[in-house]
Amino acid sequence: MTTIGIPRALLYYQYYPMWKTFFEHLGVEVVTSEPTSRNTLAKGSTRVVADTCLPVKVFVGHVLSLVDKCDYIFIPAIRSLKSRTYNCAKFLGLPDMTRAVVPESPPILEIEIDVNRGKRYLYQSIYGLGRHFNWNPLRVREAATAAMEAFISYRGLMSESRLTPLQAIDDITGIPRREPVEPSIAPTTPSATIAVIGHAYLLYDEHVNYELIHRLEQYGARVLTPEMLTEHEREAAVARLVGRAYWTYEEDVVGAGGHYLQNEVDGVIGIMAFGCGPDSLMMEILRREAGNQQTTAFMCITLEEHTSETGVITRLEAFLDMIHRRKRRRVALCV
Amino acid sequence: MRVSTPHMGHVYIPFKAIFKRLGVEFIMPPINTQRTLSLGARYSPEGLCIPFKMTLGNLIEAADMGANTLLIPGGDGICRLGYYGKVQEQVLHNLGYDTEVIQIGVSEQKFRSLMSIIRKVSGDAPWYRIISAIRFGLSKLASVDRVERVVQKVRPVELVKGTANQLYSHAISAIDKADDYDTLKRVEVDYINQLERVPRDKQVQPLIVGITGEFYVLLEPFSSFDIEQELGRMGVEVRRSTFVSEWTKFSFFLNPFGINEKKRIHRAARPYLKRDIGGDGWESVGEKVLHAEEYDGIVHLAPFTCMPEIIAQNIMLSTREKIPVLTVLCDEQIAKAGVLTRLEAFVDLLIRKRRAHSGRAQGAAA
Repeated sequence: MTTIGIPRALLYYQYYPMWKTFFEHLGVEVVTSEPTSRNTLAKGSTRVVADTCLPVKVFVGHVLSLVDKCDYIFIPAIRSLKSRTYNCAKFLGLPDMTRAVVPESPPILEIEIDVNRGKRYLYQSIYGLGRHFNWNPLRVREAATAAMEAFISYRGLMSESRLTPLQAIDDITGIPRREPVEPSIAPTTPSATIAVIGHAYLLYDEHVNYELIHRLEQYGARVLTPEMLTEHEREAAVARLVGRAYWTYEEDVVGAGGHYLQNEVDGVIGIMAFGCGPDSLMMEILRREAGNQQTTAFMCITLEEHTSETGVITRLEAFLDMIHRRKRRRVALCV
Repeated sequence: MRVSTPHMGHVYIPFKAIFKRLGVEFIMPPINTQRTLSLGARYSPEGLCIPFKMTLGNLIEAADMGANTLLIPGGDGICRLGYYGKVQEQVLHNLGYDTEVIQIGVSEQKFRSLMSIIRKVSGDAPWYRIISAIRFGLSKLASVDRVERVVQKVRPVELVKGTANQLYSHAISAIDKADDYDTLKRVEVDYINQLERVPRDKQVQPLIVGITGEFYVLLEPFSSFDIEQELGRMGVEVRRSTFVSEWTKFSFFLNPFGINEKKRIHRAARPYLKRDIGGDGWESVGEKVLHAEEYDGIVHLAPFTCMPEIIAQNIMLSTREKIPVLTVLCDEQIAKAGVLTRLEAFVDLLIRKRRAHSGRAQGAAA
C-alpha cells in the first residue's frame, strides 16, 4: 500500500484529522513523524540558514525523520483561507524550500490553497492532489467531503468540549486520554485561569515550548487555548482590535488574545517564535491592548533554539505569582 | 494640511514636486541618519525589520516638524509591510502625536489609490492638476534613475575616486530644484554628459556584481551601509534591476494591461520556487538563476528576520546555476566595518575566480 508521510509540525495540529481522512479515503496509508525531540530540532537546523525561524527548523527535522519511512511527503502551501488574507512567506514557500534543503526526500506532494483565486481553482487544486492516488474525480470529491466533515467535527470537538488539539487528535485516533494533571506544586494560592495563545505549532509542540501547558496545569492553573473559542468569538475580537484580518492565522493570535483579554481569564500568555514576521506585529497589538485595558495581565514569551528552559520557568512562576497577588488583593478589598 | 512621507532613497523628490505643484505643504523629514534609526528602533517592537524602524523614525521626525498627515505604504498580500500602518499609527498616538496615517496601496490598484489619496490630501484639487502633478513627479523620478544608472557604470572605472558620487549628489539637488520640464531635461542631459566625460581607466574590466533582495534595503542606501558606493569604490560595477521609476512605470501603467516586467525573472525562478511568496523572495531566486552566466557574483540584501528573503536564501543555496552569492542582513545592530570586511573578502574571491577562469581559458587557447 502507498504511504504518505505527514510531518508532525506546523499545520499538523490544525489539520491532521482532515488530511488523514482525505488520504485514507483514497486508499493511502498515513504515517506521521514522532513527536519533536532534541534530535529533530538539531537535525533540522543543520539544513537551513541560521535565520530561519524555530518552527520551520523543527518542520525540516520532521521531514528528515520521514525520509525513508514513506513513498510521498505531503506539504501544503496555504496562502489564504478567507478573501484578502495572506499567509507568511514561510508557508507559501514551504514545499519548494523543503525540496531545496532536503534533496533526498521522497516526492513531495503539495497543494496550494488560495481562496482569493476562486472556487474553481480550489477544486482543481484538490483534484490535482487526489489524482496522484485516484484518477476518478468523484472519488476525490467524496474524499474531500469526508475530510471537510472530519475537520468540522474536529473543530467542534475542541470548541465544545474545550479540548486542545492534542487531546482531540488522541480522541479521534482512539488513543485513551491522558489523566488530567494533578497540581503537584502545592497550591497554597487560589487557582488562576490562564489563556495561552499563539500559533498551534508553538502551543502544542511540547519540546519546543518546554511543556508550557503541562507546567501551568501543574501549578494548578486552568488553561484555555485559542481552539476552545468559536470562530465567531475570535472574529469579533479581530474586528474590534484591528478591523480586518490581514494574516491567515490572525484569529489564533489577535482574535483569541483579544477575546481572552476581555473575558474569563486572569492572564494571557502569548507565545511566539523569534523572528516571526506576523507575530512580531500581532503580539505588539495585544501588548498595547493589554496596556490600555489594565485589567488582564499579559506576557509574551519568545522561543528560539537558545531559549533556556529555566528562563521560561522563572518567567512563568513570576507571572503566576503576580496574578495570585493581584487576586488576593482584590479579595482583600472586597472583604 | 502638512503632509509628510518616510524616506526610501530618492522617493522624496517626486512627492515634493507633486505637492509643490498642488500647493500642499510638504514636510520632508531629515535625510536618514543614525538618529532616525535610533528613534525608530527605540519605539519599535523588538522583532521588527529595519524598514519598519527606519520609516517609524522618519515619521516621528516628521511629526516633530509639524506634519499632521503621514503617507505610508500599505496593502494586501505583501509581507508584514501591509501591517505596518496599524502598528505605526498606534505608536505615534501613544507618543502623543495627533497625526493621521494614510496607507498608499502598493499591491492592488496602486495608481487609483495614489491618485485618490493625493486628491484627498490636496483638498479636492481638479483631476487634471493632479494628473499633471503626478506626471511631473514621475518624470523627476525617471531622471534621477537615469542619472543613477550612469553613475553605477562610472564609479568603478573613474580615475579620481569619488568624482561620480560628487556629480551624482549635485545632480540630485539640481533635479530636486528643477521647476519645469525644460530645466529638468537640461539638468539631466548636462549631468549625464559630465558623467560620461569623467576620466576613466580604460584598462580595467570591472567585475560585475548583481545586487538583489528586498525592495527597501536595496533602495535606501543608509539601511544597507551604502553597499553600492562601497562596491563601486572597490572597482566593482553594480547591476540592479530594481528602480523606483521602473516599478512605478510598470505597476501604475503597464501591469493593468498584463505587461509584467518580472515575467522573465519569475519564469527563471519557477523550477525552484513555484509561487509568489510575498515581498521580493521570488525575484531574488529568479535573479540568481537568470544572471548566473552574466555576472561574476551576486549580493543579496535583506532586512534581518525578513520572511520572504530567508526562504529565498534557503532556496538560492541549492540551485543548479552556480554563482557566488553573499547575503547581507541589514539591522541596526550590524556594524558597517563588519559588512565592509565581508564585502572585501567577497570581491577578492570574485577576482581570484575570474583570474583562475581566464587562466584556464588562455591555457586552452595555447
